[in-house]
Amino acid sequence: MTAVMTESAQSSPQSPRRSTRRLPLALRVLRSPRLARVLFLPAVLIFWLISNKLIADSWGFDSSVLATPIEVWDFMYAEVTGDTVAPANLYQTFGISLRRLGLGFVISMTVGTTLGIGMGLSKAVNAFFHDWVMALLAMPALAWALFLSLILGFGDKGPVWAVVLAGIPFVIVNVREGVRSTPRDLFDMSTAFGVSPLKRIRHVLLPSLFPFLFAAARYALSIGWKGLVIIELFGGQDGAGWTFKFWYDAHRLHGVIGYSMFFVIFALVLENVVLEPISRRVFKWRPSLNQPDIVEEDMDVVKYPALADESLSDRDTIIQEKN
Amino acid sequence: MRVTEEELVKAARRKDLTVRWVSRILGYIVVLGTWEWASGRVLEENLLPGPTRVVQTAIELFNKGKIFSAFEATLTRIVLGVAVAFLVGAALGILTQNRWFAGFFKDAITIGLTSPGLIWVLITALVFGNRWYGPLSAIVLTTFALVTVNVAEGIGTLPKDTIDMAKAFKVGVVRRNRHIVIPHLAPFLFTGFRFSFSIGWKVTVLTEIFTASSGIGFEMRIAQILFRQDEVLTWILLFFVFALFFEKVVLQAIENRFFRWRKEIAST
Repeated sequence: MTAVMTESAQSSPQSPRRSTRRLPLALRVLRSPRLARVLFLPAVLIFWLISNKLIADSWGFDSSVLATPIEVWDFMYAEVTGDTVAPANLYQTFGISLRRLGLGFVISMTVGTTLGIGMGLSKAVNAFFHDWVMALLAMPALAWALFLSLILGFGDKGPVWAVVLAGIPFVIVNVREGVRSTPRDLFDMSTAFGVSPLKRIRHVLLPSLFPFLFAAARYALSIGWKGLVIIELFGGQDGAGWTFKFWYDAHRLHGVIGYSMFFVIFALVLENVVLEPISRRVFKWRPSLNQPDIVEEDMDVVKYPALADESLSDRDTIIQEKN
Repeated sequence: MRVTEEELVKAARRKDLTVRWVSRILGYIVVLGTWEWASGRVLEENLLPGPTRVVQTAIELFNKGKIFSAFEATLTRIVLGVAVAFLVGAALGILTQNRWFAGFFKDAITIGLTSPGLIWVLITALVFGNRWYGPLSAIVLTTFALVTVNVAEGIGTLPKDTIDMAKAFKVGVVRRNRHIVIPHLAPFLFTGFRFSFSIGWKVTVLTEIFTASSGIGFEMRIAQILFRQDEVLTWILLFFVFALFFEKVVLQAIENRFFRWRKEIAST
């Protein structure tokens, strides 16, 4: 403390930044943004407890209807250790949902890539599908949930279809963009040398398409997951979305909040532990393409100044993650 | 007869345009045709009503006066929700000018950006029940961060020179904000608004499914429970078309008009 004081006393107070150094340590710590960030969590907990009390008092019902942070923590701990009142424990429900997500993901990638390549290569094919793909892109997951649950009933088919329908427009649009950004020269040259169309697709198109395919996979997974949860909620008999609704129907707020946290944690893990390292590994050989510049005339994305320097993928994800 | 290069280019372009329009119209015919054909053949008509049936149902609902009242209820909720979200989000964005508050709210904004609306819808439904501020808070919690991010971004690019000059000339805080900060932020505010609307309408419909006795979401849910697929489809499509129209045509037009004086923004 004294060392800091003498040091700052010796230094000439020319820049405004230096002058703050003269503040006593306690005050400096109090003012630091890092402390503020740490303080956020206790502030939320206190706010939570106070508003619990206020709500219970003002409406005059038993406050046990509301959940306390400790209850939520206990619930999450019990779920993680596999101890649950619900028909299936956390791992089983997420397992069921992940299987559906995987199946839907594979279908949407295969069909979407085929359609996307077609749309990128031929203007006629593009014009044929364009408006419908754009409409699909803006369709809320809720619409599919209600529609498909009536047609397909409770089972695996509805959720898988929902994943496909939610993810496929993003795959198509990205792949199409990838095809359009393939180096024209290489294509022309291979045509001039009489390379067969199949070989051309394999050796010219696919390598340059790869970053776009990866971005498409990312979308298909994260948006498909959101669609999956919603359809399981309305037309399912098991899976993560259904279990979420199970706690809602049982009117157990701690269960609903706990499951919400699992969803958020799952999304974070999927993004940071699974997708991010894979993308870093896969694109190590071409660092400039680590973040492909995906441009799309997306009906659902508003062009807006903020985040303009970030890749468009973040924007879409933000928009789409909400429904 | 000699053909100039210009004519060749023109002819090629014309051909290109016809190909594009023909395939586009063909696309509509094939998709709508398949849909109409599949209804009653591939799936029962009750499960997959065709486009003509949907149009009929829409007219029926309109004659019953249901459409107007449902739209009214939903739109009121959207306007209220987005307005509050906008105020909260903008206030937070202004607060984060301060480094301390920026640190404090950092995680709140990250959570607000990443958590899906469904979570908030169910939590607020349990806490607030059918009270009107339940859905409202769900909409606010889902969309406020988008406004905050935009406002904060706008603040990050504030013209520092002008502000420094204002400070040097001892212009008051209120006037400084009124004449420098707000005009600079206007485009960011506007896009923040559009952005929160595009998410807001989806969340609103979702809240209505759980905690409302009026509105489009409520009608959709009732139709689903009663197994009226044609009504489900009609509500979905009506609102989908409306929201897209509002977002892409109305808001875009307003924005273009509003920022005509700043060409670099109006052009986007």
